[in-house]
Amino acid sequence: MIQSTRPAQYGFAERWLPRLVLAPSFLLSLVFIYGFVVWNGYLSFTASSLLPRYEWVGFHQYARLFANDRWWVAVFNLFKFGVLFIGISMLVGIFLAILLDQKIRFEGFIRTVYLYPMALSFIVTGTAWKWMLNPGLGLEKLMHDWGWTSFTFDWLVNPDMSIYTVVIAAIWQSSGFVMALFLAGLRGIDDSIIKAAQIDGATLPRIYWKIILPAMRPVFFSTLMILAHIAIKSFDLVVALTGGGPGFSSDVPATYMYAMAFTRGEMGLGSASAMMMLLSVSAVIVPYLYSELRRGSR
Amino acid sequence: MANNNKWARILVYAVLIYAVIYYLLPLYVMITTSVKTTEEIRTGNLLSLPMHITLDAWRKAWGTACTGVQCTGLSLYFWNSVRMVFPAVIISTTMGAINGYILSKWKFYGSEIVFAMLMYGLYIPFQVLLLPMAQTEGYLGIAGTTPGLIFVHVVCGIASTTLFFRNYYVGIPDELINAARLDGAGFWRIFFRVVLPMSLPIVMVTFIWQFTQIWNDFLFGLVFSSGDSQPITVGLNNMANTSTSVKEYNVDMAGAIIAALPTIFVYVVAGKYFVRGLAAGAVKG
Amino acid sequence: MAMPALPAARYPNSELEKKMGALAIKNVTKSFGDTHILKGIDIEIDDGQFLILVGPSGCGKSTLMNIIAGLEGPTTGEVHIGGRVVNNISPKDRDIAMVFQSYALYPTMNVRQNIAFGLETRKVPKKEQDEVIQRVAKMLQMDHLLDRKPGQLSGGQRQRVAMGRALARDPILFLFDEPLSNLDAKLRVEMRTEIKQLHQRLKTTMVYVTHDQIEAMTLGDRIAVMKDGIIQQFGSPQEIYERPSNLFVASFIGSPSMNFIDCHLAEQNGQIGVSLQTDSDARFLPLPNGQRLAGRVGQEVILGVRPEQLDVAHSDDNVAAISIKVNLTEPTGPDTMIFTKINGKEVVARVHPRDAKGPGETMRLALDMSKVVLFDPKTELRLE
Repeated sequence: MIQSTRPAQYGFAERWLPRLVLAPSFLLSLVFIYGFVVWNGYLSFTASSLLPRYEWVGFHQYARLFANDRWWVAVFNLFKFGVLFIGISMLVGIFLAILLDQKIRFEGFIRTVYLYPMALSFIVTGTAWKWMLNPGLGLEKLMHDWGWTSFTFDWLVNPDMSIYTVVIAAIWQSSGFVMALFLAGLRGIDDSIIKAAQIDGATLPRIYWKIILPAMRPVFFSTLMILAHIAIKSFDLVVALTGGGPGFSSDVPATYMYAMAFTRGEMGLGSASAMMMLLSVSAVIVPYLYSELRRGSR
Repeated sequence: MANNNKWARILVYAVLIYAVIYYLLPLYVMITTSVKTTEEIRTGNLLSLPMHITLDAWRKAWGTACTGVQCTGLSLYFWNSVRMVFPAVIISTTMGAINGYILSKWKFYGSEIVFAMLMYGLYIPFQVLLLPMAQTEGYLGIAGTTPGLIFVHVVCGIASTTLFFRNYYVGIPDELINAARLDGAGFWRIFFRVVLPMSLPIVMVTFIWQFTQIWNDFLFGLVFSSGDSQPITVGLNNMANTSTSVKEYNVDMAGAIIAALPTIFVYVVAGKYFVRGLAAGAVKG
Repeated sequence: MAMPALPAARYPNSELEKKMGALAIKNVTKSFGDTHILKGIDIEIDDGQFLILVGPSGCGKSTLMNIIAGLEGPTTGEVHIGGRVVNNISPKDRDIAMVFQSYALYPTMNVRQNIAFGLETRKVPKKEQDEVIQRVAKMLQMDHLLDRKPGQLSGGQRQRVAMGRALARDPILFLFDEPLSNLDAKLRVEMRTEIKQLHQRLKTTMVYVTHDQIEAMTLGDRIAVMKDGIIQQFGSPQEIYERPSNLFVASFIGSPSMNFIDCHLAEQNGQIGVSLQTDSDARFLPLPNGQRLAGRVGQEVILGVRPEQLDVAHSDDNVAAISIKVNLTEPTGPDTMIFTKINGKEVVARVHPRDAKGPGETMRLALDMSKVVLFDPKTELRLE
């Protein structure tokens, strides 16, 4: 069934050229992606510390990882960050998309403004928000100047709250992107369905709730996937905004892995944490990809 | 009813404008802060307009600010990024175009497996690659160099560029390729004469996508470059996190804007393609 | 019309020369795993003939066309073009040209470049290219379109350019893959005529795929009716129309479709025939030379009658006439279709408008028993 579109190929050139030309990419990804995954997996079962030491220690590194408080802080931070970041970005994005879909004047301009943070590096975003959320001179001072003298905002230096500053900045950066995806989805909906519902006497909110949003399930799903992907890979923003601190209170697995592998000389621990990241991503992605590819090939 | 509607619309506009302010405010703060003096930053607040506009902070961020031990400003890092981004984008886009062409129009036994392999590669957390890649670059003698960084970006970029082009080329009817084959054209001639001239939109999308991705990258820059090959994101982060006695937020903001300018420029000039790239990236998940 | 020959030297071998242009498909099959698209196709046509591959979608006709072109390979079997086996010859070396359903014009090239592309690839000198383009443009009356891009052309013009591109190649075999299916009805008829004229002028062998039985009938010298990867019948249009080899061919070719009436083969007064019953009449209609069916007397058969073989009975003593009640009429202009029931089956008769009666009225219809055909209800094959 998959082969049906494969063209007949004649002669040496037609038969081998495509394979030959694809070969470098294939080899690059085979060696430098898949080979490295295996290599990293192997490292995680060795006693490597500052330098790779290929001495098999079984699950020792994983046992150390699971016994490590800092790792669990990172995992729970990712969980908090992921849920809040994805949830709020989705809500804000969908809400703005619906509002923008009401035949708004200057829509192009507004859209451009909502989306520009997505063009920025997380490092830029982090640097900017670090300044704005600065406990001494930033938001707190602004509120004091405006007369709210009891206002305090110390999340950036408060170990219990520092991860939420990352959430704030990440939402600012990515919610416009969610808006753009949903707006495109809304524009793809057949107008006549909405007209038919209006003739049936449905109110606008009801039409959105009952007809349009259910039709956006694929958009919802793919947005969820990409936001989750951003969340799991999040590294830059944390580094730029909090540096994982205070202490390691705002660590996430990505920063944990970097710290272990490159600054603390715990290569085995670092590779084990990377494997844990890979496994959790794969648990979601493999079934998703499988269904996508099967659907894609019809 | 009509009145009700009018109020509803006013409310919609009010919310939208409020959101515009929310998204623009950080940019406003960045710009105004960058032209203030440190003195004014301490006495004023986030939203206050600068009293005397000065470009001192900009000059410092560009030329003399300290990024760790050295105090050469961001200019060095900026040019490092420029030297890195163009080769990386051009190579990965070219490879993606040819791969996409093969995976959509010259499928062979096993090509679907290659495609699935590349697809999965998109989702792998790069953390898994860092340690082996660092080792390998050491062996190859390109560790900490711009070519080494370019190599990493190409390896990790091929999957998305291939996917972009493949999805675009799937939309080109096979009949067109068949017609060219009957016209006597072979693999390369069909690519260069028939397919590539139709590819301007996807070339733009891919180029811009790769440009923003690579320019904005921090992780690879941090791990695979050192000293005189570090990209702007690493330079900015070093500058902003250098523990000096006085925190110079104006210099940080000027530096942040410098780091953001190229991608903002691309976004403003070719926003259409940027958005399409995001949407295409979303398809991949 | 004299055609400047392309420089490509053709097969000097005189034995091949004899069959040049002819197409032979020998026991071609095509399968994807357990899915069998083509199940043993055999077709052979002579030089200059116009072959139609017709059938409903999914019958394998397009796959067969692609195999002839070399765009897909057969699973087994051989394709001969111009007397040589072309199985291992690339499409570009088969000396064929093809017109595609979607026209497949190169969107970034103008009409002139579209036509020139194949010539250029084959390294035809520039001067000769220009001559060919001029000749083709003139033949298809599209001189004024040469500098336009395909996006600026109407559907009909694109179709013309696609044909021009094929003509420029001066091949030994033309392939048309449903070339008219994207045009509106009026244009389709016009282009059909043009293709026919073109064939008469060029006398090049052509293969034409369509799902439209009218195109098949009007264009073809030879028609292969396909279904489920099998050639149901291969013959001239008239043969296929008059002596369909099975129920499928009989129903697929002809519009309105042939009427199928279930009946018993019976013998009365030494004559073999069928009994028909309508709302107002019951008759035994003898079959001319029915004796050949003597062995089947008493069995069920399906009587196939084309609408025009059911005409108004003008004389009272016609033995093959039966009176019917009109249920519905459909005037088409030149004819009026009369809908009625015979043996409980809906039946259409094509009569002259002046003879047509209104719904509820009765009229006498005569069956042209020399032309009706009988089918075996089990095998669905025509009874000889």
